[in-house]
Amino acid sequence: MRFLAQDQLEAFLGHLAGQGRVVAPVKGADGVVLFRPWEPGMAVELDVLLAKQAPKDYVFRQSETYLRFGYQMEGVAAAGAEVTAATDRAHAVLKVEPQNDAPAQVIFGLRPCDARGFVQMDNVFGGYGGFYFDPYYNAKREATTLVAVTCRDPRSTCFCTAVGGNPAGTEGADVLMTQVEGGLTAEAFTEKGEELLAFVGFSEAGQAQTLYAETVKEQAVARVDVPFEIEGVRENLRANIEDPGWHDLCMRCISCGTCTYVCPNCYCFNITDEIVEGKGERMRTWDNCFNPLYTLETSGHNPREQKSNRFRNRFSHKFWYYPEKYDSLLCSGCGRCITHCPTRIDIREVLRFMGSPRSAAAPAGEEA
Amino acid sequence: MNPLPLAERRLKPSPFLPDLAEIIRKDRLTATETLYRLRLADGSELGHTPGQFLEVSVLGIGEAPFSISSSPTRGEAFELCIRRVGDVTKALERLELGSMVGVRGPLGRGFPLSTMRKQNVLVIAGGLGIVPLRSLITNLIDERDDFDDVTILYGCKNPGEMLFKDEIAQWVTRDDVDFRVTTDIADPGWKGNVGPVTTLFRRLEVHPARTVPVMVGPPVMFKHVVKQVLACGVPEDRIVLSLERRMKCGIGECGHCQINGVYVCQDGPVFTYAELKRLEEAML
Repeated sequence: MRFLAQDQLEAFLGHLAGQGRVVAPVKGADGVVLFRPWEPGMAVELDVLLAKQAPKDYVFRQSETYLRFGYQMEGVAAAGAEVTAATDRAHAVLKVEPQNDAPAQVIFGLRPCDARGFVQMDNVFGGYGGFYFDPYYNAKREATTLVAVTCRDPRSTCFCTAVGGNPAGTEGADVLMTQVEGGLTAEAFTEKGEELLAFVGFSEAGQAQTLYAETVKEQAVARVDVPFEIEGVRENLRANIEDPGWHDLCMRCISCGTCTYVCPNCYCFNITDEIVEGKGERMRTWDNCFNPLYTLETSGHNPREQKSNRFRNRFSHKFWYYPEKYDSLLCSGCGRCITHCPTRIDIREVLRFMGSPRSAAAPAGEEA
Repeated sequence: MNPLPLAERRLKPSPFLPDLAEIIRKDRLTATETLYRLRLADGSELGHTPGQFLEVSVLGIGEAPFSISSSPTRGEAFELCIRRVGDVTKALERLELGSMVGVRGPLGRGFPLSTMRKQNVLVIAGGLGIVPLRSLITNLIDERDDFDDVTILYGCKNPGEMLFKDEIAQWVTRDDVDFRVTTDIADPGWKGNVGPVTTLFRRLEVHPARTVPVMVGPPVMFKHVVKQVLACGVPEDRIVLSLERRMKCGIGECGHCQINGVYVCQDGPVFTYAELKRLEEAML
């Protein structure tokens, strides 16, 4: 185990910033902690447990241009005339240029649940279902080093241990650091991680520091709530698919999609084009399976027209469909969806209720 | 539900990067449908199976999935029959001959031609379902000796919506194809059957062990036709359907077409009834 004194942290980040981009949780003027590109002088916020959003955006961009194209404007009357490219007469495509911007970066200060979120999402973008390898996600993923920090003080909404995680979990992390007296201990789990710990500011951790770190980790595990039993959830979701309880649970959902945007591993996206004066781009942007337009076909047919079906889809996807296909849950228990839902929908309540044999569960209204 | 191995697909540097294709012919079929004939700009063949689809883009407007309507037996150009209804289809219709569009594909799993060989094939089309099925029918006719009886049932809302009238006129005259058509609402000139496509089963003999029914149409048609062919004794794993979903990426990622653990764009769009029966929401 290595040790970095508190007064060496800025130098360490500065050292990393000299080699690429550093992204870290930083509190903005509005008091909101978000993962932001770090610059010397910025204070890294490690006392607020979770940044408002997971650092997903730095690997799977909220909106990402992956294609640029240009139209030759032959036949268009005058320069400055209104042009709607594809619909104008006598145009020809000039060129189509793929874009894939993947700078080397270190995401510092993410939590083990966030790191695990990437691992869970890797399945779909890595083509593990037998499908395609996603060039955009994977280029960024490979260029990224994850330095996780142990959750010394888990929140009441945390449930990582219930879904197989750990507040000091190492899955997906290249380095795990733990806040101890006077600084942070550090352990590397990958080659990328080892390289980071070669920074001169690190020293070998003393016995007291190692013991302290191990104690912090153990105590953290004990403090994470286990609000439901994961065993049997998949089977029960399947058995309860037609259960009217879904209607009760979804009543207060306003289909805003906040839960999907703050989630470390919701990965649905939409594809759209934009064009201005013959120069256009195609981008993909996070989507939200709660949106009624999400499944609406041009014909008017909508296989998930009912809100309860869309609501059911998100939870079933994370705990039944995805595990069945990829042998991995699609939830790392960060609890952001609980804290940010404007109508206080609680994934733990949904799983306690719909993930248990229905005869044994209490009515939804009496829970939470 | 085995997706093709990677090497068998047209894997580009990016599966999101479209190839360019030129519009070489446009035929207006009805008030709202146009048949587009396209050719890949690099001169290569599309290499599709009937039942597969393409993501077609009018760059700057958007991209949408369309089933391929021509048979791979008919050379390097390919055809798409498209109803003018959304942004992309409206923009497509305004493109002139020689214009380039983007295409990605062929994508997905097509009709199981190998299962159909030396079998009776019962094709059931409802409305725009004839569009992907025309690819299959043409393929069946071009390799006619490989298949036993070929029967086609086609139902449309009214005679004016009937597609591919010229080809249908040819199918009707063939002794080796049994083509039957019906319309929900007749017009004054209509002398044929009136009623839903299931009414065409009345005078139809189906050999359950030797027949592969293949159907494409709206969900309500599936419900009734599946019942009908099951009643004829056709096993569930021989009933073939193609689903419509909002397939956005087409490569098993974006989630729009997902039904439970299945991606319609890659695991389908063609499924057997046995596969769909256990999927909640599939037949909605």
